[in-house]
Amino acid sequence: MKKNYALTAAQNMHYQWIKEYKTQQVSGLSIVAAFQTDIDIPLLKRSIDLEQERYSCLRLRFTKPDENGNIEQYIADWKPQEYEEFDFTDKTMAEANDIMQHWAYETFDGDDIPMCEFRIVKLPDNYTGFFVHMDHRLNDSVGVAVMATDIMNLYKHLKFGEEYPAPLADFEKVLVSDLEKASNEKRLAKAKRFWDEELDTYGEPLYSDIQGPSVLEEARKKHNNPNLRSVDIERKELFVAVKDYQLEVDSMQRAINFCLNNQISPTNLLLLVIRTYLSKMNDGQEDITIENFISRRSTHDELTSGGSRTICFPCRTVISGDTTFIDAARIIQNHQNRIYMYSGYDPELIRAEMKKRYNTPDDTTYVSVYLTYQPPMNTKDLNPNAEKMPIYVKWFANGAATKKMYLTVSHLPDRKLNFSYHYQTVQLTENDAERMYYYMMRILFRGIEDPGRTLSEIIDMV
Amino acid sequence: MEIEKKFKEVAERYCSVKADEITNDMKLRDDLGLSSLDLMTLLGDLEDEFDIEFEFSEDDNKLAGIVTVEDAINLFKEYADAE
Repeated sequence: MKKNYALTAAQNMHYQWIKEYKTQQVSGLSIVAAFQTDIDIPLLKRSIDLEQERYSCLRLRFTKPDENGNIEQYIADWKPQEYEEFDFTDKTMAEANDIMQHWAYETFDGDDIPMCEFRIVKLPDNYTGFFVHMDHRLNDSVGVAVMATDIMNLYKHLKFGEEYPAPLADFEKVLVSDLEKASNEKRLAKAKRFWDEELDTYGEPLYSDIQGPSVLEEARKKHNNPNLRSVDIERKELFVAVKDYQLEVDSMQRAINFCLNNQISPTNLLLLVIRTYLSKMNDGQEDITIENFISRRSTHDELTSGGSRTICFPCRTVISGDTTFIDAARIIQNHQNRIYMYSGYDPELIRAEMKKRYNTPDDTTYVSVYLTYQPPMNTKDLNPNAEKMPIYVKWFANGAATKKMYLTVSHLPDRKLNFSYHYQTVQLTENDAERMYYYMMRILFRGIEDPGRTLSEIIDMV
Repeated sequence: MEIEKKFKEVAERYCSVKADEITNDMKLRDDLGLSSLDLMTLLGDLEDEFDIEFEFSEDDNKLAGIVTVEDAINLFKEYADAE
């Protein structure tokens, strides 16, 4: 008998966005993975079928919302699927990508329906593989990478008789464990105390915009409230553009060496750089909040169980301008460590508490920038036969941005550090992304070349 | 000794080193591959399993000083003894 479960905090985050933005598109997750070799398509289909059997998060479905708008999830029984084939060999890769990009905009509308779809694609240059489109509540980017690797290991088993891949952790078991931890009253009370203490100490957060204080001033006029500390969220025009900048290997290595020598994590260094940029743009504002995504995959089981485990928490720091760069980094690190300790907490409860305390107007936010830092991955783990079997992988944006500015920082295979700025085009332009990157780099290198400089000195210098 | 054994058993879930191969001088980050998030989640597991409560204040530098397995075990002992 199928058992229904509540959503985890990470799943609930996506569900809240679906409700707030009134479209499932904001929860779309899509990738193509194709190999430059003669792929046996019936065996590839069989491998995907086997994956759907062993990686049960792919079979998640969601119930109809109850009278309070709450939904539950359950794992549908496994059964073999039909997979459509698409032949793009007569197109350029750009044309094929364009078609797949439009698939990524499709939505899964309805209750109790499959939320994941695979398509077989034949791409130019003899690449053949699969495109998968799913709801983010089923899996996250790390989980999708695990899935893609497992499918290819299954394929190699079927095709070449290689060893059958080791079993993946049981999604349902990890889900139950997560839900039990989240409902542990002692843990819950401790987490609530931590977040409440922050509000007790600092009061209501204060919005800081990428473009400067004029955005908050406009919101204050619009709401006829000179003391307003949050600004309106764009709910309708969700079109997103992406601008990427790459930091050269030598410069990247200088930043990483700073982290290693000072025991500061790259995430915390980036948070410091972004908050210093926001402080600079907002007349030296000391109270800055950035939302930081974390991937809760610490244990072996969490790594291979699938499921949506990425969640974001507000990193709020109040740091005066006369604090040195290194001290500020340590303040952020200490604060983030405490956040990590309560990472099973539902961030929706933090927002609800702020709304209760400060009567925050509906559809407003204290945050303009969201950050994800993706640590370097050993590409050999993902594709052990990279030399023998070149792989083409492309992630497709769902085309509906829930955030004004979403920065993803990741390590590229050539060891450059990629800064990918996703921004809502209704509010920002490429110039805003460019200015942000320019100042972030200046702040970063002024800070690491002399960590004894104060934040005010660095802001003046750049 | 019991605390040390328990710590290593829990740590094994988080790294690719077996509990009986974890030595006290190993570095959490470099030798066991634990990130800050991993370490904090591990401490959360210890709290649940041993009904203890770690308390770290905003200006507390205890966490920054945890570099080796021994540092983490000593922290665990400090709180376990206090309970």
